[in-house]
Amino acid sequence: MIIYKFRNKYKIFTDFSKKIILNNSNIKNFLGSFSNKKYKKEQDLFIGFFGYEILCNLLNIRLKNQKKTNFYKGIFYKPETVITISDKVKISSNIKQNKFNNKFNPTKILSPFKINTDFNKYKRIFNLFSKKIKQGETYQIKICTKYKNNSVINPVNFFWKLMKVNSSPESFMIRDKNYSIVSCSPETLIEKKGLKLKTKPIAGTLKKNPKLNKSKALSFFKNNNKETKEHNMIVDMERNDLSRICKPGTVRITRKKYVEEYKHLFHYVTTIEGNLRKKIKLINIIKSMMPGGSVIGCPKIRTLELLNSQEKEDRNIFTGSFGFIKFNEDLRFNIIIRSILNFQNKSEISAASGVVLESSPRKEFNENFIKAKSLLELFK
Amino acid sequence: MIYIIDHQDSFTWNVVHQFAEFEKVYCSDYFNLNLKLLKKSDVIVFSPGPGSPKDYPETSKIYKLFKGKKKIIGICLGFQLILFNEGGIIKQQNNIYHGYQSKVKVNNKSKIFQKNKIFKIGRYHSLKLREPFKSNNIDITMRCTKSNTPMAFEDNLNKVYGFQFHPDSFLTENGKFFIKKILSYK
Repeated sequence: MIIYKFRNKYKIFTDFSKKIILNNSNIKNFLGSFSNKKYKKEQDLFIGFFGYEILCNLLNIRLKNQKKTNFYKGIFYKPETVITISDKVKISSNIKQNKFNNKFNPTKILSPFKINTDFNKYKRIFNLFSKKIKQGETYQIKICTKYKNNSVINPVNFFWKLMKVNSSPESFMIRDKNYSIVSCSPETLIEKKGLKLKTKPIAGTLKKNPKLNKSKALSFFKNNNKETKEHNMIVDMERNDLSRICKPGTVRITRKKYVEEYKHLFHYVTTIEGNLRKKIKLINIIKSMMPGGSVIGCPKIRTLELLNSQEKEDRNIFTGSFGFIKFNEDLRFNIIIRSILNFQNKSEISAASGVVLESSPRKEFNENFIKAKSLLELFK
Repeated sequence: MIYIIDHQDSFTWNVVHQFAEFEKVYCSDYFNLNLKLLKKSDVIVFSPGPGSPKDYPETSKIYKLFKGKKKIIGICLGFQLILFNEGGIIKQQNNIYHGYQSKVKVNNKSKIFQKNKIFKIGRYHSLKLREPFKSNNIDITMRCTKSNTPMAFEDNLNKVYGFQFHPDSFLTENGKFFIKKILSYK
């Protein structure tokens, strides 16, 4: 079962008739298969995720130094039933008699969380990357740290608990037989309808407190040098990624530098849109936009190479993308951040924060903890 | 046709779209050049990119091959790459500018832009030209109003031009104007 929250609706996808496990040799065929399909009903789509590694591989970047957990590089499912919950409930299904699998595993915590990169290691990488920024090798780079424990989780329970404290606009849950993912992602990486493309990069996060409101948050972002330049960079980078596949002259910023308010934090967001060139295939869209720039750094290729030389563990789903592709090739994908992956009785939570010269390793190291906190608390 | 050499930057396609408003553009990676099309093109553009000019000997070769024969425009790393090939030394700045908006002022050496005119522009660079820099044909024509850093040059004899800033950035006001002026200058 999959639950995806977007545009303030919850959609439940279930009764899967197909499951495609992606690898480097079948991904092109999978993405190419949509051009001869027809979209008639709501369930005419594939829903699932691309992991970080397969997205790097699409850009001809290999992850050689990473310790791997052998988790799937990507999986897509064909649902036969879609249930939409907004102000009313709508069910669209090809199945006459639904047989829901009601057996949920109870959550079991078998060991406390441990971090994979301690502060000293983090500081070493931070200082190395600061040097690379001074040399112009990268302009901005995000270091990922991971928290892991031994546990079994009940993802449905976790998901609703999470929605109570942080119902981000791109939240989702996947429950399969041998793994589950629970995420409160806030970021829409790409939305395609016909030839219209849209992306909504987030760069800038501010924790809420009683003295802050939306307009104060906006002036904080505007007057903060670090936030402003990080945001500017991501905006130009996303304009670039869209321009790669869009008609010249159509890529434009439609909403510049605004604040979105969530239960615990404010985000600094910009909306960019463009019109797709006619002959562009799905795989080109994926390769241009993924992995999402705001969680990698800039420029993409050199920065990915630097990251992969220093991060010792596979990011797995983290900074990959979850979403769906309809049979008419319309699609919607988020960036997988703020997520729990439970696989082989282990849970992992990853967080990333940016190295820029105005920052300090201590501050960014702590920011990773703040980002992971609401997920870590679900285990209490 | 305009040939843009991409140094695998995440801003190159902003450059492509900006030039595409004026002429047909062909873009390829610096390690995958199409010499036939390069020969056919009227203008060659060196894109921004990570690292420093010495990392891109392929592009330096192209510069030497076509200097004086075609109009050549360098942006950011491309700007540094041309100056590097003209004997300039490219060094680290004390203050690093990534994602900054600054002001530049045109000096009296420019034949294309109006003297004393001030523009708001977007910057993404760690490195800059070390001065003094001496050249027979190249004039620094714009400087940062605060730091005096060289931000544009013109070599009107060989028709070689460069911008340290990004006319393609949304931080640059009316960035198209710079490209239009350079492309139309005969």
